[in-house]
Amino acid sequence: MKYLLLIYGNQEKWASIPADEWPEAIAKQDAFNRKYQATGELIGAYGLADAVGARLVRRENGLPAVTDGPYLETKEYIASFYLLDCESEERALQIAADMPWADVEPVEFWPVLHEAKPDL
Amino acid sequence: MTAGAAASGRGGVEDLLRELAPQVLTALVRRYGQFHLCEDASQEALLAAALQWPADGIPENPRGWLITVAARRLMDQVRSERSRRNREELIAVATPQSEMLGPPADAEPADRDDSLALLFGCCHPDLSSPSQIALTLRAVGGLSTAQIAAAFGVPEATMAQRISRAKQVFIQTRFDFTLPAGTERTERLRAVLHVLYLVFNEGYTASDGDQLTVPALSHEAIRLTRWLHRLLPDDSEVAGLLALMLLTDARRAARTLPDGSLVPLAEQDRRLWNRAQIGEGIALVSAALPRGQAGPYQLQAAIAAVHDEAATMADTDWPQILSLYELLELLAPNPFTTLNRAVAVAMVHGPEAGLRVLSELAADKRMAQYHRLLATRAHLEELAGDRKAAAADYLEAARRTTSLPERRYLAVQAARLGSA
Repeated sequence: MKYLLLIYGNQEKWASIPADEWPEAIAKQDAFNRKYQATGELIGAYGLADAVGARLVRRENGLPAVTDGPYLETKEYIASFYLLDCESEERALQIAADMPWADVEPVEFWPVLHEAKPDL
Repeated sequence: MTAGAAASGRGGVEDLLRELAPQVLTALVRRYGQFHLCEDASQEALLAAALQWPADGIPENPRGWLITVAARRLMDQVRSERSRRNREELIAVATPQSEMLGPPADAEPADRDDSLALLFGCCHPDLSSPSQIALTLRAVGGLSTAQIAAAFGVPEATMAQRISRAKQVFIQTRFDFTLPAGTERTERLRAVLHVLYLVFNEGYTASDGDQLTVPALSHEAIRLTRWLHRLLPDDSEVAGLLALMLLTDARRAARTLPDGSLVPLAEQDRRLWNRAQIGEGIALVSAALPRGQAGPYQLQAAIAAVHDEAATMADTDWPQILSLYELLELLAPNPFTTLNRAVAVAMVHGPEAGLRVLSELAADKRMAQYHRLLATRAHLEELAGDRKAAAADYLEAARRTTSLPERRYLAVQAARLGSA
């Protein structure tokens, strides 16, 4: 079963973390990533760039229409996301709770729909 | 007739290679130890054969060919510059070349026991369930990491990590080709059957895909269980599991429409069921059941057989299904069995009686939110004439399932009842 973990935040929050604490925070996150890549449960871990780079892409009259946003007006936006493939929901929740950021920010947890067909 | 004549074409080669995979690996490990390296080397030999044999034909002694090629790869790896840092620990592997040229130990009973010991080793309790599955498919099933990754829908790198970790744990278990005895053997065989059962269940993938790149796991599970049944013909639960797989898989063609949507048992076109597989499954379970205490797989197979024997849903012998579920619940009580029993109760004693069983189950908070309980309750509520409650439960079940085809099916049911 696959699960998506999301961490939210904003510039204000990140800025409030003293500069000398960052290396440790990053090292912790790297250790988390390595640990669960090694168990074959973490498929991918991605940090997102700042919200100034976020865009909204629509198609109008068959042509792409790109605008800024949507997050500039929002208080919090996605900072990073993680894709897990685990034996069970219990196991995925356990990994989510092991996320270093869980001390500071709640980890949003989403089961991913899959194509497997149960026998009805 | 040689193996070469028996196996024709690419599928034949593939089948033969999978059959030989555990024999090649165990022969190597017996001679050289070093499970990790032997496993890689035997995979490389299988790959070489998969490329060469369809073009050049199958060699006279395919097993000997594979062992020789794998042993050569093993030596290459030991000698290679890349493994220099490992050389000290590998000194033991540098066996004289003459060893390699010795007669291939074609003694069938030794192979048989070694392959079985390997399968038991892959299902050692120290290994996590995903590790047991991945290692069994690779070491015993002969599937490549890429194939296993594709079958489970994860990147190859992720699966490679899983397999690598599984191999490390496997080595720590000090595998020595000894088959466990007594109660340990019973426990381990139960774990083996559970792994095969999980592989089979994982096999309901949306598309059948290219068999060579995305192998159908249910077929692989059937192949391995058939092989296990040949090794342990007197074990009733092995026969029961094989029967259960065949009887369930027999309905595959009727279970989905071309657009991928689900067809429930009641609405399946039974002419699409695979009669040969049903016949084989029924024969297996009929032979196994009278042998004494029936195990859970035999009972589930017997239930599947009753369904498969019925010409229509209305012809189904529900009282027999109900008594089989009652037996199963006595033998291996679990809420999922109770859930299935509720349907049988409803078919025999009416939907209200079935709903009463479900309300007992729903007392468990986790079960109360389980999508299959909600879907079953919706079905029984509809039978009882309560369309409103049924629509609400179908909708809630659609929200709770994580299977995409199932969500579509349940949402359609909710809409059908809601709009009327």
